Amino acid sequence: MTSTEQTVPELVDGLLDVRDLSVVYESPGAAPVQAVDHVSFTLKRGEFVGLVGESGSGKSTLGFALTRLQKPPARTNGGKIFFDGSDIRELDTEMLRKQRQGGFAMVLQSGMNALNPVRTIRNHFLDIFRAHGHVAPADREARAAELVRKVELEPSVLARYPGELSGGMRQRVSIALALSLEPQLMVFDEPTTALDVLVQHAVMDTIQALQKSENFTAILISHDLGIVLEATERVLVMHEGRIVEDGSSRDILERPQDNYTRMLLSHYADPRADVVELPGFPDRHARVAAGVTRAEAATSEPTVVTRSVRSADSAIVVDHVSKVYPPPRRGEKPVRALDDVSFTLEPGQSLALVGASGSGKSTLAKLVTGIEKPTEGTVRFGDVDVTRLRAKGLRDLRSNVQMVFQDPYAALNPLHTVEYTLSRPIHNMTDLRGDDARARLHELLETVGLTPTETFAQKLPHQLSGGQRQRVVIARALASDPQVLIADEPVSMLDVSLRAGVLALLEDLREKWGVSLLYITHDLLSARLVTDDIMVLHDGRVVERGVTADVLRNPQDDYTIRLLDAVPNPRRLREDVA
Amino acid sequence: MKYIAGKLGLFVLTLWAAVTLNFFLPRLMPGSPADAAIAKLSQNGPVTEATRAAIEAQLGVPDGSLWEQYLAYLRQVVTLDFGVSYTFYPQTVSSMVSTALPYTIILVGVVTIVAFILGTLIGVAAAWKRGTWLDSLPTLGGSFMSTFPYFWTALLLLFFAGYVLHWFPTTGAYSATTTPAFTPAFIGDALLHAALPALTILVTSLGGWIIGMRNAMINTLGDDYVTFAEANGLRGGTVAIRYAARNAILPNLTGFGLALGGVVGGSILVEQVFGYPGIGYLLFNAVIGQDYPLMQALFLMITVSVLVANFLVDILYGVLDPRTRR
Repeated sequence: MTSTEQTVPELVDGLLDVRDLSVVYESPGAAPVQAVDHVSFTLKRGEFVGLVGESGSGKSTLGFALTRLQKPPARTNGGKIFFDGSDIRELDTEMLRKQRQGGFAMVLQSGMNALNPVRTIRNHFLDIFRAHGHVAPADREARAAELVRKVELEPSVLARYPGELSGGMRQRVSIALALSLEPQLMVFDEPTTALDVLVQHAVMDTIQALQKSENFTAILISHDLGIVLEATERVLVMHEGRIVEDGSSRDILERPQDNYTRMLLSHYADPRADVVELPGFPDRHARVAAGVTRAEAATSEPTVVTRSVRSADSAIVVDHVSKVYPPPRRGEKPVRALDDVSFTLEPGQSLALVGASGSGKSTLAKLVTGIEKPTEGTVRFGDVDVTRLRAKGLRDLRSNVQMVFQDPYAALNPLHTVEYTLSRPIHNMTDLRGDDARARLHELLETVGLTPTETFAQKLPHQLSGGQRQRVVIARALASDPQVLIADEPVSMLDVSLRAGVLALLEDLREKWGVSLLYITHDLLSARLVTDDIMVLHDGRVVERGVTADVLRNPQDDYTIRLLDAVPNPRRLREDVA
Repeated sequence: MKYIAGKLGLFVLTLWAAVTLNFFLPRLMPGSPADAAIAKLSQNGPVTEATRAAIEAQLGVPDGSLWEQYLAYLRQVVTLDFGVSYTFYPQTVSSMVSTALPYTIILVGVVTIVAFILGTLIGVAAAWKRGTWLDSLPTLGGSFMSTFPYFWTALLLLFFAGYVLHWFPTTGAYSATTTPAFTPAFIGDALLHAALPALTILVTSLGGWIIGMRNAMINTLGDDYVTFAEANGLRGGTVAIRYAARNAILPNLTGFGLALGGVVGGSILVEQVFGYPGIGYLLFNAVIGQDYPLMQALFLMITVSVLVANFLVDILYGVLDPRTRR
């Protein structure tokens, strides 16, 4: 192979020069998919660049191609990647391996699983030092300790195994490991996505501080434009394998050129603002005051078919409830997941339950649905004491109180069609049979906006997008015609552009059908969009409650303020961005 | 250390439970060995009380309460005194078991361990070089070999390597001309005799280990910590052994424990075919000859060997997987 013109890029302070890069997925028995399509861009030394796109945009594929980590069926099928003057596509395996020290490093999305469970953290560092020999044996221990301190951990973690560390600590360790390579380029692939909101924020702060102090060039890959605009000085927007926009963070925010970028931006708002509006969601405060429904105010197609309103007639009353779990290991203290929590969900009301992970919000959902019994206190639904129900009573309760789960990818059996999934609750919880049952099934699909219903009924979960799957999950919850929907983080796994649609569906169900909604989330913006009242949980206690708009505009508790600060907000740019 | 102490305690407890069950289960059955012998005799005419007493005394049918019998039994178990064999009278059961046990443990035990280690290594190589001949050859060959019936492989080897080519002796654990002793001549002779049964076990069990390890390893190769290790530029060997294989072997240890536990009890077929005087051969003859003391001792040996194997694998887990130590 002789390349006729091997031009070395003429970039004075350039580090990375990507030209016409293409990556294709060639799965056996499937048509090839061009995941990255003739992408070109350059990176200057010391730059911190964001790479944003929704799922399937090719952003992670691009990240893996840049670091030569892609594995079959992915294959780079065109273009050049000049790193520090030479094309890394032409490196052989051993040269590539050596290049990883002092060259390019990568921090993976699920940093929690990026560490070998049977090796101590110290051994992870030693493996790297041994492989490259860039730290003298006598200095290795001190260097490892120094690196963990840089990511704000104690050197004592070196003796621990990954399983003994929290998710945030593990992600910090993998950042320290990548740093130990002394790379010129760091690629962060969704480094905080799997972490809790507050931890997410802290890890992002560490990454930003490190980028400044260590002065490496960095690419931050994320689905969240908010996080990226907050952290980086330049943003590449990726859509369907192409870079549709490349500009400074300020330009992207204030003068977006591409329609896709504009669409992404339109889905961000500050939950603290006086007026919060998203596509399809006119300001709730004004709208409710005027007695106008979302669908009317948005003058958009109503997502819910009109039908005779069957308003909820029973309130959920949670009265001084506590839940204590036995200690996770012998010799430890029992876990108090909920501590003296009381609230009432009136018929037709929508209540947000917010808090970070471990705040007890999911435990509360389990108590309300009767899956678990409280240690103290009572849960009532109308005149039924949920805590005393047995099998038969729980069945009746569940036809009235239904759950919508967080992960639409896990909540549907991959072997069953949508029709089968929906026909089970219709069969088990209603008296409808035969043609009536079939009619009900199609009505449900129409309700959640999956039309034409005949087509969707025959689909298997893997043939649906995340948003469509979550609609099926909601349709399943509606099958028994429940009075109350408990939605546990229903949009957190979905792409930003799909979230508004699912939220609109929940809001319309409440306004048009009179279903009450208990909305569990850590996402304060979505809480602002679909709930009347809010309750903030911290360590099992209610630390703040009130009208959603009031609490978010004027938070009193320190914890609520921390949660609000953790919301990614594109309008809060890096201070140093011109 | 606390982990090992806990596992040891559990081991002693299950051992006691197994020993106790071994005592009570036969006594829950109606009749006794003496009844069986008398029933046989009575077909030829009436049996006197004196004859019955003689038979009971000869068989050692116990007297005293069940509790006293139990204590006596426990004492016997601890002192390894299992009485006298019926079929090989007047040899004691313990002497017979102690002669047979080394042959089985050395033959089947060693071969099981070798098959596990060899199969695991080949499996690691196959997964690491996935898609090359290093993968397809052992994977195809392994699944082909593991479908051979045990006895068929044994007969094939006996016929070709034994009768036709005369490479190896076809029966016994050592030649009739040598006497068991720790001399180089005897050990060489014994190894030569062990070759065919060992090869049979190896051929039939190797494929399973290869395929099991290869599949487990392919799973761990897709894990994030392997990708991250590659991203950090670790050497290929380190990634393959310390990251991928080290984690892939963990689920296979359970299967290894089961195989190891089956060493003493699972050797009947191969020992019978090759006339190899191990535990399996002994058990076969004990069952045929209704030799109760011998059977009881052998069943106890089989139970204990399963428990010991499980205990060893538990300890191994503790060493290899830090998550189990907590």
